[in-house]
Parts: sequence; C-alpha cells; structure tokens
Amino acid sequence: MNTLKVLRDLFYYNKEFATGLLLVLIVVAVAASSFFSPYPPLDVYVVPPDLPPSWQHPFGTTSRGQDVFWQLTFAIRNTLLFGIVVAVISRVISLCVGLVSGYRGGWVDRVLMSLNDTFVVIPLFPILVLFYFIMRDQMTWGLLALIVALLGWAYDARLIRSIAMSLRTREFTRQAVFSGMGTGRIVWQEHLPFVLPIVFSTTLNNINWSIGIEVTLSVLGFTDINTPTIGGMIYWANQHTALVSGIWWWVAFPIALVVLLFIGLFLLAISMNEYIDPRSRLSRLGGQA
Amino acid sequence: MTLLHPAAASAAAEDDAAIPLLSVDRLKAYYRLKLFGIDREVRAVDDVTFAIGRNEIYGLAGESSSGKSTLIKTIAGAIRPPLAVETGSVCFNFSDGTRDIYRLTPRELGEIRWKRLSYIMQGSMSVLNPVRRIRHSFTDFALPHVPEKGAAFAERIGRHLERLHLERSVLDAYPHELSGGMRQRVAIALATVCGPEFIIADEPTTALDVIVQKGVLAMLRGIQRELGSSVLFVTHDMAVHANLTDRLGIMYAGRLVEEGRTRDLFRQPLHPYTRHLISSLPQIGDDTPKKGLEGSPPNLAAPLSGCRFHPRCPLAIDICRREAPPMVAVAPGRRVACHVVTASPDAVAPAMEEVRP
Amino acid sequence: MKPNLLDVDNVSKTFAGRGLFSRRMKRAVRNVSFSLDADRPEVFTIIGESGSGKSTLASMILNTARPTGGSIRFEGRDLAHIRSRRDRVAFMSRVQAIFQNPFDAFNPLKPVDRYLYTAAEVFSGCRTKEARETRVDDALHKVGLSLAEVSGRFPHEMSGGQLQRIAIARALVSSPSLIVADEPVSMIDASLRMTVINLFRMLRDDLGVSIIYITHDLATAYYISDRLIIMQTGEVVEAGDARQVLAAPRHPYSIRLREAVLSVDGAWRGTGLDAEAIQPSLR
Ligand SMILES: Nc1ncnc2c1ncn2[C@@H]1O[C@H](COP(=O)(O)OP(=O)(O)OP(=O)(O)O)[C@@H](O)[C@H]1O
Ligand SMILES: Nc1ncnc2c1ncn2[C@@H]1O[C@H](COP(=O)(O)OP(=O)(O)O)[C@@H](O)[C@H]1O
Ligand code: SF4
Ligand SMILES: [Mg+2]
Ligand SMILES: [Mg+2]
Repeated sequence: MNTLKVLRDLFYYNKEFATGLLLVLIVVAVAASSFFSPYPPLDVYVVPPDLPPSWQHPFGTTSRGQDVFWQLTFAIRNTLLFGIVVAVISRVISLCVGLVSGYRGGWVDRVLMSLNDTFVVIPLFPILVLFYFIMRDQMTWGLLALIVALLGWAYDARLIRSIAMSLRTREFTRQAVFSGMGTGRIVWQEHLPFVLPIVFSTTLNNINWSIGIEVTLSVLGFTDINTPTIGGMIYWANQHTALVSGIWWWVAFPIALVVLLFIGLFLLAISMNEYIDPRSRLSRLGGQA
Repeated sequence: MTLLHPAAASAAAEDDAAIPLLSVDRLKAYYRLKLFGIDREVRAVDDVTFAIGRNEIYGLAGESSSGKSTLIKTIAGAIRPPLAVETGSVCFNFSDGTRDIYRLTPRELGEIRWKRLSYIMQGSMSVLNPVRRIRHSFTDFALPHVPEKGAAFAERIGRHLERLHLERSVLDAYPHELSGGMRQRVAIALATVCGPEFIIADEPTTALDVIVQKGVLAMLRGIQRELGSSVLFVTHDMAVHANLTDRLGIMYAGRLVEEGRTRDLFRQPLHPYTRHLISSLPQIGDDTPKKGLEGSPPNLAAPLSGCRFHPRCPLAIDICRREAPPMVAVAPGRRVACHVVTASPDAVAPAMEEVRP
Repeated sequence: MKPNLLDVDNVSKTFAGRGLFSRRMKRAVRNVSFSLDADRPEVFTIIGESGSGKSTLASMILNTARPTGGSIRFEGRDLAHIRSRRDRVAFMSRVQAIFQNPFDAFNPLKPVDRYLYTAAEVFSGCRTKEARETRVDDALHKVGLSLAEVSGRFPHEMSGGQLQRIAIARALVSSPSLIVADEPVSMIDASLRMTVINLFRMLRDDLGVSIIYITHDLATAYYISDRLIIMQTGEVVEAGDARQVLAAPRHPYSIRLREAVLSVDGAWRGTGLDAEAIQPSLR
C-alpha cells in the first residue's frame, strides 16, 4: 500500500522513473507476447525468407525463413530472463558475503575479502570463452547464467560490506547484541533493510551488465546458439551476411529493442538512486534533526 | 550593581534600541513534506519575533527539536526544500545598509556570508573538508572576502590563528589530525577571520568535554569582544547560557516563550517552562532532589491548540487549552508568553521562591 | 566468602598504531583497578575528558573487547573464560549496557519493541508470546512506561527521553545485577536528563542494580554517584567517595576539571568565563 504510493509519487514527480518504467514495460510486453507466437521459435522456413517489413510481417523475415517480430519476442524473453537470473543469483551471493564480512570483521572478513578480491581480478571474458571451449555442447543457457553470476557478485559485495561496516558501529547494532540477537538475526533483520534499496538499484545495473555479456558472447558464437536470444539473432544474421545483402531489419530490430531495455533499466536505476537518499532522510525525520 | 558581563547588552539596548542589528518579525518556517507517500507539515518555527542589538551575545535555549536549528537556518537564509518560509521577515542592519534576507538574490547572499554574517555549525567537521588541509578551507571561504591576497592573506590568517591561541602549523594539518577542541577552534577562526558583524553558533561545544568547552567558549567571547560583533548562540546547556550570553530567549515547540536579560531570567524565571529548565539543573554541592519534566514533548507535526506547554504545565488553567498566549512585554526588555504570568504576576511569585538558589 | 560483583584488576588496553609507518602503540587504558561489592548496589562513576579511555574500559567490562593486560572478573569468574555463545548470553543477562545516543540506539526501520521481545526470549527463556509480553510490560513499568504506549511504535515516533527509558527497560528485561551506561545523558537536553538520572537512582535503591555511570558531566555525577574514579589519558588519577572528591579534588587534573565546570552560581560570582578570558591550558 505504502509501496504503491511511493511508486505513484515517483511516477508523477520523477521523469526518469516514468520514462524508464515505460521503456521497460514495452520490452516486457514484447517478451510476454512470445506466448502468443504463431510459430515455434526453433522452426525455420515457416515464412518466405528475406521479406522487408510489411503489414503481414511488421519487422520483416529472416533469411532462415523466420518472422523477425515473433523471433524477437522469444529472444528478448530469454535475454531478459537471463539477466534477471544472473542478477538474482549474484545478488544473493554478494549480500551473504558483504553483510557477514562487514558485520563480523576480523578473520571472517579477511577470508571473505581475499576471496572477493580474487573474483574481482579474474579476467571475465577469457574465462567465459575458456568455459565455452571446455564445455562445448554442455554449455547451456542455465550454466552460462550460473557462471556469469559467479563472476558478477564481487564488486557489489564490497559495496555492501562497506555499508555493513558502518552499520556495525551504529549504536542500534550494539543494542541488538545486548538484546541477545546472534549474527544471523542482526545481519538479516537489522542490517538487510539498510542495504536493500542499494541492492535494488545495483540489480538493475547488473541486469544490464549480464545482458551485455550474453549478447557479446552470443554474437561471437560462444554460447548455445540454439536458444533464441538477442545475441543469437545477431549471430545468425551475421552468419547470413544480412547487412551486406541489405537485410538490415534482421539486425536493426534486435539491437533497437535491447538498447531500449538498456536505457530503461539505466533510467530506473538512477531514479532509484535519487529516491534512496531522501527516503532514508525522511524516515529519520521526527527524531533528531 | 557591578555587571559581570560588561554592559554590552544594556549599552546596545540604550543606544541602538531603535535599529537592532537583526530583527526577526513574525517568522513562520515549516517543513513541507509531500513526497513518496508522506504528507506532513512540521511547524518548526511558528510565529517568532525578536531582535538582537549590536555587540551582544544572544542565547537561544530549548529542548531538542524545539526548532532552534531551524530558526537559525532561516535567519542565515539557508532555506532549502522541504523547509519553506511561510510568512515573516528577517532584516539585517549591517554597517553598509539594511538587508531583508528573503529579498536577496543568491549572489548577494553569497556576498554577505562570511564577510558580514558567519555560521559555526553543530559539528564542525561538516565545514572542514576532510580531504583538504585546513589552509585550503581558509582560502576557499575567506580569500574572496578580504582585501589581502597572497602573502598578506597568509599573514592575516596566521595572526588571526595566533589570536585564537592556535599554532600556525594547524594550517598544514588535515581535520582528522586535530582534536575535537582544536577543530572547533579552527571552525571559530574560519567564521571570524573576515571580521563579521553577526556570528551564528549552533551548539558549537555540545560534544566537547568540560575543559575544552570552557576554553572554546572563552575564546568565542574574547573574539566577539574584540570584533564588536553580535553572536546568536544556541545550546540547551543552561550553565553555558548563564556564563556566556547577555540576553536569552527560551523556545518551546517552535515558539519563543520567554525572553530577557540572562541574569534576570535566571534570577526570576517567569514562564513555567523556563522555571523548570532552571530549577532542574543539577549543581555540585546542591543536594536537593531534581525532577525531570513529566509528559511527552510536543509533536510539531500536529501542534496542540492553545498554549503548547499546557499538557505539561503545573499552572495550566482553562484558557490555556483554548487560546495561544501572546508574547507580552512585562518589564522593559522582558517578554513572556503565558496567560497566568501576564494576568497576575503576583500569583507566580511564591512558586518562584522555591526555585531560587 | 561471596565473591565481589565485579573486580577490575590492573587492566590495560593497548591498541596497535594505525597505518603502515606509524607503529606507535596507543595505550588507551593503563593499570586500572576497582571493584564493586555484591551486597551493596551503588552508582560507580567514571569521569574523564574525551579520549581518556572511558569507553574502552566500558567495552572491556562488557566483554566486547579483551584487555591486553590484567583481568576482569564478574562474580568471581574471569571474563576471558567466556567463549561460547551460551556463556555470552548468560553473561549478558547479568551485565547489561545503555548507550549514548537514544536517537541512534534503535533501528530506525524497525519498531522499538522487538528489542524488548528478543531480550525476553533469549535471556529470560520466555517461550510463549504471553510470557514475553508480561515480562516486557513489567520492565517497561519499572521505567514508567507501559507496553501499550510502546507496542509497534517506531523510534522516530518517540522522544529522546522515552527512547532512553525504553533502552533502560530493555536492559532490565533480563534482571541484570550490573548496568554499564556510557554517557547516557550527554546527547539529551536538560529537561530529559534528570528523568533518566533519577531512573538510575531508582534502579539502585529499589531494584538493587549496580550502575557504572560514565560521563564528563560533573554535576550529574555529583547528583547520583556513590563512588567515582577520574581518568586522564588512560590512568586513574583520583578515586574515592563521589561527594568528597568533587567537593575537594586533590589531583591537579581533577582540580582543573572541577574548575572548568560552568555553573549558574559561578556565573554571578565571576568564576565563569571572565575570570580567565583565555585559557592557557588549551592543547
Ligand atoms: N530537513 C527536515 N525535514 C523535515 N523536518 C525537519 C527537518 N529538519 C528538522 N525537522 C524537524 O523540525 C523540528 C525542529 O528541528 P530543529 O533542528 O530546529 O531542532 P533543534 O531545536 O535544533 O534541536 P536539537 O537541540 O536537537 O539540535 C523537529 O521536529 C525536526 O524533526
Ligand atoms: N579501536 C581503536 N583503535 C585505536 N585507538 C582507539 C580505538 N578505540 C579507542 N582508541 C583510542 O583510545 C583512547 C581512548 O578512547 P575512548 O575509550 O573512546 O575514550 P573516551 O570514551 O574516554 O572518550 C583514544 O585516544 C582513542 O583514540
Ligand atoms: S499559558 Fe497556561 S499552559 Fe501555557 S505556560 Fe502559561 S500557565 Fe502554562
Ligand atoms: Mg539543532
Ligand atoms: Mg566515549
């Protein structure tokens, strides 16, 4: 109820939020329409190939005889889902590591942070390509998501840790200790609410980041190209030298859609940042000024 | 009668009574919150009128969240949403002309800041940039406002620091390398280096221990005497007011409830809240039991009708619940807002006897 | 013979210097000793300027920091032997803490009563909701509040004095025999200050709780304490009966402290700021 009111106010008073929300909703609507697709996503030559955009095929058709629009609905759905799965897994890891490390300090902190630093310095791309060459056919969409998530939590864990460290010195943490709460309760009940807004905004950025990775990897062909994704579509377009033969719609629409998603998520993330700060100030209001 | 505070206040009251340095007239400043699902109006300053003469230290006392800092912010012209001035005016009568703070452009405001009007904040770390040496804070704030440049400027700052018993070497220190007391004195040095006519100090010594506090207060007083400036000094420590200020205003729930010469106020507090403040002060060598104020502090987001002190007031009568008492002058230089006191000052006298030390 | 409530025996704490190059050791507390009698509850005050080691000493007594020298015994048991969570809980139910800033003492995003309930559950083993509520209500009544006033309210809805009283009630839930209060009134204003101070007196007289009261406010120390120690740069420079020490301090540092206290009477007698307009002793 209160959250709804907050969202309403954000929508009315914050142009970035309104624009971002609109863009993301458009993309989600496209993804959702995949459930009504007349063609199964993996079938080829279901329509005449190489048709430019028309009433019948609004985004044209590919050289593989697929309708670009309906293909795109599957692609964006998978890509979006990929981003969300990666973000959720990596957020859970970074929350656990960051909160515990920041609160406990001492040797726990040292161990977790050296682990963290290892993950920060691992060169991302070579590792992913390496995995592809090792796994080859076993390299499914889900496995890739897991690997990217494992590589994507470290930076935020450090951010969360620094917040947890400052929360640890606050008096209410000591109050909690002397109320008999153990580490688990303090971390999950006392400290988590303070980092959630920030986690929420980094989640949006993390979705963007992982989608970027996925698109790049698939364009280069380092993923399971049989699951339709945005990157996969561009990969196939390149395989058929679509741009050279003037079939621009095969490349342009996927790129346009993913750019929309990028901008939308980015705007949401920055408007969330704006919101996080005054909100915490407001909640302190009425106490000491 | 020998005045222990050399008669700054009385002199000011006699000569310049007609043109006080600062006059605040029926000022109302509210925090308006209509954002993110919260609708609220906090009446932090509600109809405050007072004036400060030249060369005097005016104290402002009152409990936490009674609106002291808000009043100060509005006087300094530091009004940012959600804070908004509803009505009223704040007028400064500087040596080079009169200025209404709310009629100034941001540029004009910037020009009088530091030079004519300076501000020592609650917690000095916020003025001193933690990653820059003290020297840079001085060049940032003071350089634009003084005639000296280059070596002459450095000399002026050096001399000023020595006046405040700080070594010149603090200029090369970072804020965190100084002790709390030194930082507070650097903040005072910064606020006074341009020789301002009006200095605002918001709880500049609350976090300090007694020895350091005394030194800092003595210093503030010394520099005020030297510059002949006026100081608006805010704290809830009544002992500090007794020792430092010439005149004293007591705030309760966003309103001024009593005002007078500090001495008179301590000798003969009239408003029940003032009386409580003074009588509850523990002192070494005094073994009488002291009581805290019963009841809960006022909620400024939903102010009470009538006198805002009435739920906690031992003298409250019927009218107190209905009508807000106006601020009335009961003697020269003495004002109080209380129905009972203004109606029959005699009835209050016996109650006051027990208060006197 | 019954062991003392608390023995602080020649305790020191040294912090390793920060930074790569400054290997200086910081001796925050040096050879402090005192003890509290189990049969005579008292308000024991620790006075000192900021940085004199008061909080460090307090955290060692509360067993949140380990002394680097000497030992602390609570009811005859060395705190160094408290290791398991069970021992820590048992210790905390006997020795409780009250903190400095009531506005920061409760999580601003959570209702204040959860601390009270947790304490009732963990320390007093109240399993059912009813048992917890009775326990909490009892504790709140001791500080002049009731569960009805506190239940479900958030910190920003309460005043500083109420919050500090809730914090005291929270400490009382487990019926401790020692409460360590680190500058509990320095952040709250005069009118609330006496409410809290009077509560300490009540705890001592009516509930038999001993209190270690840490402050730099000599006037309130005079008002409630039985004995006190004065600390300077980690060392005890003067100790004894509170009224005697404050009325006639002997050590030069205590005398300076005593003289620095601003009082209302002093202002009229001229012992205030004018007597020594500029202090030579500023560091
Ligand atoms: N930025 C803000 N937004 C909304 N309300 C505010 C804000 N700042 C202060 N208030 C409210 O205005 C009232 C007066 O606050 P103010 O800071 O003036 O108190 P104060 O007298 O200086 O108290 P203290 O002694 O604790 O410094 C309080 O109820 C406070 O909660
Ligand atoms: N964790 C720490 N690391 C290094 N020095 C510390 C630490 N905690 C306190 N100190 C130092 O120990 C001294 C005593 O501090 P403290 O006990 O907080 O004093 P008080 O409570 O009397 O103001 C100070 O000089 C302080 O800087
Ligand atoms: S007006 Fe009435 S309630 Fe207010 S202070 Fe005076 S006597 Fe008390
Ligand atoms: Mg303030
Ligand atoms: Mg301390």
